[in-house]
Amino acid sequence: MEPIVTLDDVHLTLGGFEALRGVNLGFGEGKSTIIMGPSGCGKSTLLKVAAGLMPPDSGRVRFRGKDVFQMSERALLDMRKHSGFVFQDGALWENKSLFENLALPLQVHFADVPAVERSRRVVRALERAGLEDSASERPAALSGGEKKIASFVRALMTEPEVLFMDEPTLSIDHAMTERLHQIIRDLKARGRTIIAVTHDAQLTSTLADSLVVMDAGQVIASGDFDEVKRSRNPRVRAILSEVLKDIASYDTDLLQLLDGDPEPGAP
Amino acid sequence: MVAAVGRWANGKARDTAYALGFFLLVIKEVVLFVRRRQVAFRVLVLQILFTGVEALGVVSLIALSIGAVIIVEGGTVLPRFGQTSLLHSILIVVITRELGPILTAFIIIARSGTAIATELGNMVVSHEVEAYISVGINPISYLVVPRVLGVTISVMALTIYFNFFGLVGSFLVAQLIQPVPFLEYFSTLLRTLQLRDIVSTVLKSFVFGVITSVVATFHGFKVGTSVTEIPRAAIKAVGQGFVLCFLADAVITLVYYL
Repeated sequence: MEPIVTLDDVHLTLGGFEALRGVNLGFGEGKSTIIMGPSGCGKSTLLKVAAGLMPPDSGRVRFRGKDVFQMSERALLDMRKHSGFVFQDGALWENKSLFENLALPLQVHFADVPAVERSRRVVRALERAGLEDSASERPAALSGGEKKIASFVRALMTEPEVLFMDEPTLSIDHAMTERLHQIIRDLKARGRTIIAVTHDAQLTSTLADSLVVMDAGQVIASGDFDEVKRSRNPRVRAILSEVLKDIASYDTDLLQLLDGDPEPGAP
Repeated sequence: MVAAVGRWANGKARDTAYALGFFLLVIKEVVLFVRRRQVAFRVLVLQILFTGVEALGVVSLIALSIGAVIIVEGGTVLPRFGQTSLLHSILIVVITRELGPILTAFIIIARSGTAIATELGNMVVSHEVEAYISVGINPISYLVVPRVLGVTISVMALTIYFNFFGLVGSFLVAQLIQPVPFLEYFSTLLRTLQLRDIVSTVLKSFVFGVITSVVATFHGFKVGTSVTEIPRAAIKAVGQGFVLCFLADAVITLVYYL
């Protein structure tokens, strides 16, 4: 089966720095792919390029076989409807209330649906996320975790087939992390394609079908999760170890972590 | 040295091409604005409210003061040359042709130009613009076009308002020197007013409105990743806005009246 999102020899230079160097990747439909790598290696840039938010200097990005940056306006709008993006810092629109943040994607993609029905959908989404009491609040009044959840819910408002997530569980407390894990697991169970940049070992262990390891703008390993995590490439092992170093010290710990063992180092 | 000059010229040429491309994109999206089913109409209304309605106070005050100053200066200087009869003509020429459009544009550049550049710059840094793209909203259509239309409509309306209040200011001071009934004073002024004066004020206010808004949105969007770029963008929006309005004023006046 052809991948739903494909990158062909993608290069991108940002501010004189080569952020992406000849990236070739394919993300399978209904699969969950985790992108890992040290800070500043180009993971977030790769995610934004793959999502069509940032055009590459050269190379092609395709969604269902069509070049994202050559698409007609109508085709691009359709692609946006079927893809969602969760930003690392939430990126909620500060000049809008939480309700308006969630309502806007529906206004864009479901303009034909009566406003009352769209409002009902927003209220239901807020209730499911436990944010119904904050509906009229501006994002500045929300906690970091609430912003993250709200960003997540906004990305899911159009029920996208592909979800791009940039560090979805970074800087949020345990309870919020658990809620997000639950939502993501549920999405995976419903067959959504998930492409995520994360250093969260638990999320990786429960989610990943494929693993991409990046270093200095290049993909140094990609493929089936079980194969990549047991890679004998010393650079891949070093990066996985480094990325997860606060919780893993040895190879066995690392594998336990990526296999979903909640207590690495335990006998 | 030559290489440095070459790099500078190359950079300037690239910036100019980028700015022209932005301007053409804005024109295209303005044309498509009504056709699009996007949800930017509310942004347009809010922009007119902020730029137009909220600036009424400061525009009134400045216009009244300018009108008063011109009548005092004219009333003092012109009798020395036996040209008191020119006072009304000078009022019309100075206020409607020149000061009305340019001072209104300056007020809007200082108020709204900085606000727009700062707001958009913040949105770029906090990835809000990317978030708009991610949900299928064209940021030029949703963020720039309503601001360009809102500011242009506001500058045009405020210029007419400025002209009227400038003449009212002159009337109020004239009452202190030589009381004249309101209707008589204004009918004399309106007799002096020519169609070309009205066309000039409308044309200039339109051009200044476009310049103010496009320059501000351009610099807002030019902000990269750092918040320290935002105040610099606001300063550039003001500086370039002033310079381009002056240049446009000179060009329009030369073309129109020579």
